Amino acid sequence: MIALNQVTKNFAIGPATSFTAVDNVSLTITRGSMTILKGPSGSGKTTLLALIGCMTRPSSGRIMLQGVETSFFQASEAAEGFDSSSLPERFLTEIRRSTFGFIFQQFNLIKGISALQNIMLPAYPTGEQQPVVKQRALGLMEQFDLLRHRNSPVEWLSGGELQRVAIARALINNPIAIIADEPTAHLDSQLSQAFMESIGQLKDNGKTVLIASHDPIVYSSPLADQVVEMRDGRIVRQEPLP
Amino acid sequence: MIQHPAILALMTASLIVSGLLLYAGWFGIRILKNWDLASGSELQLNLERRTYLIATIMSYALLFQIISLFLYLYTADGLHILFTGAMCAAGTLQVNSYGYPTLILKLINCLLAGCWLIVNHADTRGYDYPLIKPKYVLLLGLVLLVLAETVLQFNYFLHLKGDMITSCCGSLFGSDKPSIAGELAGLPYRIMRPLFFSTMAVLACCGIRLYLKGTGGYLYAALSASAFLVSLAALISFIGLYYYELPTHHCPFCILQQEYGYIGYLLYATLLGGMVSGSSIGLLMPFRRRPSLAPYLPRLQQRLVLLSLACYLLFTALVSYRMLTANFRLGG
Repeated sequence: MIALNQVTKNFAIGPATSFTAVDNVSLTITRGSMTILKGPSGSGKTTLLALIGCMTRPSSGRIMLQGVETSFFQASEAAEGFDSSSLPERFLTEIRRSTFGFIFQQFNLIKGISALQNIMLPAYPTGEQQPVVKQRALGLMEQFDLLRHRNSPVEWLSGGELQRVAIARALINNPIAIIADEPTAHLDSQLSQAFMESIGQLKDNGKTVLIASHDPIVYSSPLADQVVEMRDGRIVRQEPLP
Repeated sequence: MIQHPAILALMTASLIVSGLLLYAGWFGIRILKNWDLASGSELQLNLERRTYLIATIMSYALLFQIISLFLYLYTADGLHILFTGAMCAAGTLQVNSYGYPTLILKLINCLLAGCWLIVNHADTRGYDYPLIKPKYVLLLGLVLLVLAETVLQFNYFLHLKGDMITSCCGSLFGSDKPSIAGELAGLPYRIMRPLFFSTMAVLACCGIRLYLKGTGGYLYAALSASAFLVSLAALISFIGLYYYELPTHHCPFCILQQEYGYIGYLLYATLLGGMVSGSSIGLLMPFRRRPSLAPYLPRLQQRLVLLSLACYLLFTALVSYRMLTANFRLGG
């Protein structure tokens, strides 16, 4: 479970330049659920995802992670959870690698290397054996119907294929949660539906899914367990009500 | 005041280190007053972020603090030619009443700085800042001592005059002198030699036990401190005699000179290394059961035991080698 308690994120703290991107947000995301953050551009969705995914720290408030086991957090303590917002940077690196899988709006795949290498990339810093990682990557390519592109440079792939490579890459370290920021922004309706089907499979497999989107195909999806509407950094509506 | 490059370097560095420590001390007071990990307040999160900056600054400042002890000794030794009567650092430090107090404070600060760096290292291994408050309490003590050292060092260098007459080390460390140095020099080698080797043997046994079984941390820390003091006393009482090959020369500073291959620096560095790593084991003992440190601290303590034993055993090996190969025998 991910629990946000009165989380605020200010940028450029100072009397003249301060900007509050996320303002006093409290939210609970249960394990294995799908949560959609919706709202207009600049409403704080991406910042909130970055806070949850340990890519930035809050200015105030706490973010608790429960049911997450790491090398530094012993299993016996797992039930209580730990506060990811207070963790030193060296621990956050491990959380980012092992707990969250990220799917970005622009996919952020690396041109010039193959789809297979792109998928394997997040596993390199973990020190895991290459053949084991490769086997897992090939398994994911098979799951997302990408095997025939295993050796193709990513610039040869279509929009939908790029999207699926990005999903496979997010899953390579077998994370607990998938975080996707506007994943359908560059896709047509058919590919967006296909994306939601893929994400639905991940949810069925027990992954926690968190998506920021203002695409109706995403936030109106019957797969969503919780839809959180944001505006000016605040939660203005939440369905179902907490 | 004598305007010597090393003196200017030491004074400038002392000012910088003192300034950094004052800033860290002020931050430490804020930590001790306001730290509350359960709180998600802006102040708390700001303190959490700032603590990395302070730890990094302190690591560099305290590393220099450790180096400055040796630079101080080296400078004092190099300046002895300016003072009538001085033969080594012993005479230079005797020129005014600030020399030896500065050296003693530097030694204490060097030991405390080493301990702080180890405690800080252990703290960064825990995900919940497990040693944050003990670390800053220790730092506040260190701030006061370093400030006192800076004042004493300034006074020492400001009151150095080139035409002063001082005492030579043979006079200061004469075994017939009614002073602490004289008392140490007068310690009978028939007692000190077996005491030194038996202390090292007991320390080694205790260290091996601590490494293998993880028990006896406090005992090892106490023995490590004792071994440091016994070694210093032994160095003055009889070890130095083998280096100088003179039965009456007990000076602990002449071995820092070129004609003895600067062996003194290595001997003192091993003693300091052994003392700091050994005593830090005791400092960390109360925190072994902290959940966030439990998987890591025993391993760190094992590494510290190895380091401490290696330092003390290297010291013992060096002096034993000298005792066996020198053209000098005590007791016929």
